Amino acid sequence: MALVLHSGSTNKNTFKVLVAAEYCGVNVELVKNFKMGVSNKTPEFLKMNPLGKVPVLETPDGPIFESNAISRYVARLNADNPIYGTSLIEYAHIEQWIDFATTEIDLNISRWFYPRAGYSPYIPQAEEAAISLLKRALGALNSHLATNTYLVGHGITLADIIMTCNLYLGFIRLMTKSFTSEFPHVERYFWSMVNQPNFSKVMGKVEQTPYVQPLQSQRNPQSKPKQLKKEIKKYLVKESS
Amino acid sequence: MALVLHAGTGNKNAFKALITAEYSGVNVELVKNFEMGVSNKTPEFLKMNPLGKVPVLETPDGPVFESNAIARYVARLKADNPLYGCSLIEYAHIEQWIDFATTEIDQGIARWFYPRTGYMPYLPPAEEAAIAALKRSLGALNTHLANNTYLVGHSITLADIIMTCNLYLGFVRVMTKSFTSEFPHVERYFWTMVNQPNVHKVVGEVKQAESVFPVQSQKKPAQPKEPAKPKEAKKEAKKEAPKEAAKPKAEAVAEDEEEAPKPKAKNPLDLLPPSKMILDEWKRLYSNTKTNFREVAIGGFWEMYDPEGYSLWFCDYKYNDENTVSFVTLNKVSGFLQRMDLARKYAFGKMLVIGSEPPYKVKGLWLFRGKEIPQFVLDECYDMELYEWTKVDITDEAQKERVNAMIEDQEPFEGQALLDAKCFK
Repeated sequence: MALVLHSGSTNKNTFKVLVAAEYCGVNVELVKNFKMGVSNKTPEFLKMNPLGKVPVLETPDGPIFESNAISRYVARLNADNPIYGTSLIEYAHIEQWIDFATTEIDLNISRWFYPRAGYSPYIPQAEEAAISLLKRALGALNSHLATNTYLVGHGITLADIIMTCNLYLGFIRLMTKSFTSEFPHVERYFWSMVNQPNFSKVMGKVEQTPYVQPLQSQRNPQSKPKQLKKEIKKYLVKESS
Repeated sequence: MALVLHAGTGNKNAFKALITAEYSGVNVELVKNFEMGVSNKTPEFLKMNPLGKVPVLETPDGPVFESNAIARYVARLKADNPLYGCSLIEYAHIEQWIDFATTEIDQGIARWFYPRTGYMPYLPPAEEAAIAALKRSLGALNTHLANNTYLVGHSITLADIIMTCNLYLGFVRVMTKSFTSEFPHVERYFWTMVNQPNVHKVVGEVKQAESVFPVQSQKKPAQPKEPAKPKEAKKEAKKEAPKEAAKPKAEAVAEDEEEAPKPKAKNPLDLLPPSKMILDEWKRLYSNTKTNFREVAIGGFWEMYDPEGYSLWFCDYKYNDENTVSFVTLNKVSGFLQRMDLARKYAFGKMLVIGSEPPYKVKGLWLFRGKEIPQFVLDECYDMELYEWTKVDITDEAQKERVNAMIEDQEPFEGQALLDAKCFK
């Protein structure tokens, strides 16, 4: 029986699970007719994840939330799965890069993207800080990838899946060619990953954004405060990472 | 042979590995003489973690960074470690709560605490959003803990260790008793956890913050290469911050944000010639006067008022016809006052929401340091442009009386009832 994943279909956090499922030969299906902001507000959904964030995986043993935790679960369903490493130190390095992808890459991309998309207050100084931290993180990733094809070992692991999905939001929304060209090894890595058959099956064709996501106007002072409140609220229901 | 952990003492992320080691019977030692900002900048350190962040664990098979990954590694060193659960679904739930502790709890606390330390730009709307998100996460955690002693199963797991360490920073720095009392199950959980012998051995006595960590606005940012400076800043902060809380600060901050933020310029208002009017004295008088307000507080105000050092302004909301829903209007005004937090040292304000039925009128009175509305307020608080601002002419008795009425919340005000009166002080 397929495991059911509750989430929208273009969510990068959903991709993590679906790509991991492809690699592990596990059957995961997206729930039908999921509607963000509606389906995840029902009492049934909130019982699965009290925050109402997606994705959530329904398993025979009950629900799991947090996309990285779900991906790990899916990877473990297939015993001795090479995408989870084969030794204690490999596990550790895979987890190290999963956490790096989350706390350094995803967090700073989110801090750059969500305010621009109008989900949270746009504050130029905060954006500047986020971009400089992101560059620092990409710089560190770039040096690691200068001498490593994959994040850990000599094949694709769960760390690569999660890193690629997190980079994906940046590449399609914010990080133009002129921004990423400073990090050539990250570029090489990202494009070779999204062109793997298991990835492109889930993500489709990926195109780098030609411009930084424009600011959704919060410029009209008349509507600002209301809009801002609404946006803060929306920000709070944004999909979980 | 012991595994060597590179980090300063008092770092909550190092606690994760050390507590896990206690539970698992693994020998982990902190490196000797670690100096934040120095030891983690050496080429050897950067080889272990290209970002130069702590903690890093040295293992016989090479280094591991990211504190959760280190804690997991330590837990796995003990075969069939109950900290790691005993079934696929238990693993999954442990990892789910580890990730929740990281992306929801730790992020919210970090976005609240670090800007206040002065190591990152302090932006009130960003703080407001961080606190709201944190409350939502704590609410969800509270619900879960209402009928679970531990996060997963019936004993302590790695998820509890990581959650507790992340909550720790909040409890000792920003989350006062009045803040956490909204989440009684989280409180019960946290205090149970930090009093477990294995946790207590590493973390020591934990004391909840008595006040939210004060904004270190005027401090020079600490340069990571000169660890003397944070100490100076700390000394100055001691006046406001609880003493015992001041110590682990440098490590905690440096751990995440060694990258020096932009220096904060001194506020130009601090450079104005000194005024005989002390804003805090007025605020105290305003707050403490319970009887005979008109004579004591308002009389006192005009005695203190220094037109050379301060100015008074009326404000009038430009879009009163939009104020059709009472609580929306009230929220709008509360939001404005929150965003004015950056001017706490330089301003006093009264905001009246007027009328007994919609549309409500919003009018206010503000006292600002200096003869004009401070430029930084105009630049950073967008609400300012939503109001018409008129300088009060204090030689005009009618205007002066209007000031009195607004300070006093006089009702009826200009012939109408007050829906609410809010004070910024």
